[in-house]
Amino acid sequence: MNLLNSLIEKIKSYNTNNVYTIEKCFKNIKKINPKINAFIRLNEKKSLEKANKFDKIAEKHKLHNKILIGIPIGIKDNIMIKNELVTSASKYFKDYVSPYDATVIKKLKNAGAIFVGQTNMDEFAMGGSTETSIYGITRNPWNLEYISGGSSGGSAAVVSSGMVPVALGSDTGGSVRQPASFCGVVGYKPSYGLISRYGVCALASSFDQIGIFSKTVFDSAILMNVISGVDRKDQICESINNTDYTYNLTKNKTFKKIKIGIPKQLYDYKIDTEILKSFNNAIDKLKLRNIQICDVNIPFYKYIPAIYKTIMCAEVSANIATFDGIRYGHKAINVNNLYDEYSKTRAESFGYEVKKRILFGTYVLESKNHNKYYNTAQKARTILIKQINNAYKKCDFIFSPSTLQMPVKFGKSLSDECDMFLIAANIAGLPGISVPYSSSPFSKIPIGMHFMGKRFSDANLFKIAYEFEKITNFKKEYPKL
Amino acid sequence: MIHYETKIGLEIHIQINTKSKLFCNCSTQFGNIPNKNICVICTSQPGTIPMLNRKAVEAIVKTGLALKCKINKQSFFSRKQYFYPDSPKNYQITQFNPPLCSDGIIKININNKEKNIHIKRIHLEEDAGKLIHEIGSTKLHYSLLDLNRAGIGLMEFVTEPDFNSSEEVLIFLSKLKNIVEYLETSECNMEEGKMRCDVNISIKKIGDKNLGQKVEIKNINSMSNIKYSIINEIKRQEVILNANKKVIQETRGLKSKNCETKSMRSKENTLDYRYFVEPDLVPFNLKNKFIKKISKQIPELPMLRKKRFMSEYKLSEYDANYLTSKKTIADYYEEVLNFIYNTNKSVNISKLTANWISTELMSKLNLSNISILKSPITSENFAKLILLISNSTISGKIAKIIFEEMYISNKSPETIIKEKNIEYISDESTLEKLCENTIIENKNIVKDFISGKKNALTAIIGCVMKKSKGQANPKIVNEILIKKLKNYIT
Repeated sequence: MNLLNSLIEKIKSYNTNNVYTIEKCFKNIKKINPKINAFIRLNEKKSLEKANKFDKIAEKHKLHNKILIGIPIGIKDNIMIKNELVTSASKYFKDYVSPYDATVIKKLKNAGAIFVGQTNMDEFAMGGSTETSIYGITRNPWNLEYISGGSSGGSAAVVSSGMVPVALGSDTGGSVRQPASFCGVVGYKPSYGLISRYGVCALASSFDQIGIFSKTVFDSAILMNVISGVDRKDQICESINNTDYTYNLTKNKTFKKIKIGIPKQLYDYKIDTEILKSFNNAIDKLKLRNIQICDVNIPFYKYIPAIYKTIMCAEVSANIATFDGIRYGHKAINVNNLYDEYSKTRAESFGYEVKKRILFGTYVLESKNHNKYYNTAQKARTILIKQINNAYKKCDFIFSPSTLQMPVKFGKSLSDECDMFLIAANIAGLPGISVPYSSSPFSKIPIGMHFMGKRFSDANLFKIAYEFEKITNFKKEYPKL
Repeated sequence: MIHYETKIGLEIHIQINTKSKLFCNCSTQFGNIPNKNICVICTSQPGTIPMLNRKAVEAIVKTGLALKCKINKQSFFSRKQYFYPDSPKNYQITQFNPPLCSDGIIKININNKEKNIHIKRIHLEEDAGKLIHEIGSTKLHYSLLDLNRAGIGLMEFVTEPDFNSSEEVLIFLSKLKNIVEYLETSECNMEEGKMRCDVNISIKKIGDKNLGQKVEIKNINSMSNIKYSIINEIKRQEVILNANKKVIQETRGLKSKNCETKSMRSKENTLDYRYFVEPDLVPFNLKNKFIKKISKQIPELPMLRKKRFMSEYKLSEYDANYLTSKKTIADYYEEVLNFIYNTNKSVNISKLTANWISTELMSKLNLSNISILKSPITSENFAKLILLISNSTISGKIAKIIFEEMYISNKSPETIIKEKNIEYISDESTLEKLCENTIIENKNIVKDFISGKKNALTAIIGCVMKKSKGQANPKIVNEILIKKLKNYIT
């Protein structure tokens, strides 16, 4: 599969046959997908119909504002597409057909994108390995014995394996950037409020953002131009003026006087030796580009896992409460009364991880615990944000490895701290991007580096990631499958 | 006998008068077929997010300002969690602390004394849907869910326990209703469930320093039910205390039409709502400019308007009270007056107009349950009719005939007079003959007149009017008769 950017150019200049592109795409998917199980549903018929429709439009100029015309895209299965099954990889939603389009889906449809299939994920996006899906595991395209990461593991794998040039995921606590790092693709989570959340099955509302997977930083910026923007259906969405996220990238100016901060706290944790080696190598290369590196001190980084778990689970417990079997979704039979129906429905349809988070969230919100846990976590969140903002007085970006650990084999679990440098961005509503930097010579598994920017500095974040991309040791090639 | 002292506090839910629901674009129209006013948001489909209706915020701020509340500009929404099918999200979006409005006041008159009722808070929240367990008298073995009401904006008023009797509660509620109707922030229609009341009651021995145990009666939906459930609850608690037992803190609900209550849950089973800040909506952050703009929209409130009606139009307290009991009636009244004063400044018709509105027009409208806003007689036509009466172009009797016709046909009085040929006979020679004949035919009344009976003149005018089938101009008849009867005296 071509890069998004070159595919767009190709379609523009050669008048490429859209049906041909989509047919080729499906041929490739059918060859690759059975090996990794990244797509859980394919929309071949509808995709070809749409491509055919585009081909038949004689006046091509009418399509010139449809920047993504005929571009195949993978969509995480928790983003609503009207009249399609949308399951969040949960038994509860096994037969749920969405009655509406998410705002991002509307925007992508208007731009001419073709949703070739839905991608695998952890149930309700709860997890970091895509192992809690009812549709089975998604294998890491670089080494089939390893996890692809999660929760958007499917989206990472469909781009990594070259089945589609771009895919959408959702990122509540690193769920885009972590699998992107594990699968060797660019994973970008915008500032909280830049992309409408309307139509994404909510996990933890104050952290949730839609994120983008692509092979290159430039491709993410192209997609960001299409899907970002204010939406009256999500009032959290900030009215940021039409930013062209590719502008900084096409202008060939190099960064000057850029300062990159590295949190001291990073070294308090056990970092995988290969990751640490890559990270130090990356710092050296950045220094060679005349980029200043400095230490920043963010003491509350150590509370990230606790803050995140407490607030995330609290919000989960309320968000998931609506899935009660009354209006839609799985419904238990042979029940005695209303509360029996609630508990049986939910016991039957939710997996272990979901139940665990509901119970923990319920516990921290109970009136006797509320102050001790939930309020404390909120206070700590406020302090952490202050400390991060303080750090940004010294530097423009905060730089770290995307994960502290390499992906594990199926059935093995990652540590609580593994994604904490990604989660910092969710807690503070900041933009973050994971760029593949190198790969393990042994397992072939990629290693990603993470830049986190100031709130709404997304255009600059793309620029630093774009420059960084040029100096990585990661070859732009596809895994052999 | 032991005497007890009662303390009552209220929680009142009033549906806000907006076209669309609080968090989506669905209509708030009452009486639609079940589940017509629903969408992906108010049925809580996955991925949906509430979008706040600004009009509802304006309405509650307007209400708060009118009740002299403090407006908490940095207020925010919270989630109140409980599982029940009428609440599709299984949490209600409401407000914890601080509410949008706090510390307001309403003055009521009880036994000719003014009393302050303190409004602790007014907050914004969403209404729930309706569960239907029976159709007619048939009990269903399942429940039906109607979500038309789910998500409609509510203002919840919480008062301090300032009431000592059911009378005070009723006076307060009708006053609150009156004010809110004036503000046009709710229709307060209790039959349509647009105003519902929870009552907290406790009693203690007079002079006892300890407060009594509080019992809450939930969801009472009519004034008479409120009255009788308070009376019943006080009796119930008195019986308990007289028997030297303790009242337990609990929530009770109406059981029967006689306003008997039954226990719903006791304190031990109090729900833990697990409140937390609603992450899907930003805090309000109201600007001073916004609050100023809203405060300018507050109309003259009923108490002030009543006083003005009494001084400006020289109305009795009774008439002023009646006319200002509804903003729409007072508005109609003033529209009529303005129209008349525009044609003739010097006439004195304020009392005449008040009478015609309160007796004729309102009784007809009330009979067919029509709001004065939709009156078939426009204020302009009504004014024309009053003018015709006041300058004696038509008699009261004819006026009533014309009024009836106007009510049915929506036509102006002039048109009806023309069509029906019912103008007064004002031709003097015709009237003189008519009077002459009447005097001859009613010698007895003439005798009464001579002997000085005061109402004899009125009686004889009545005879003339009867003879003319109401068409004689009473003013001229009056003059002719006085002239003619004087001849008999001398």
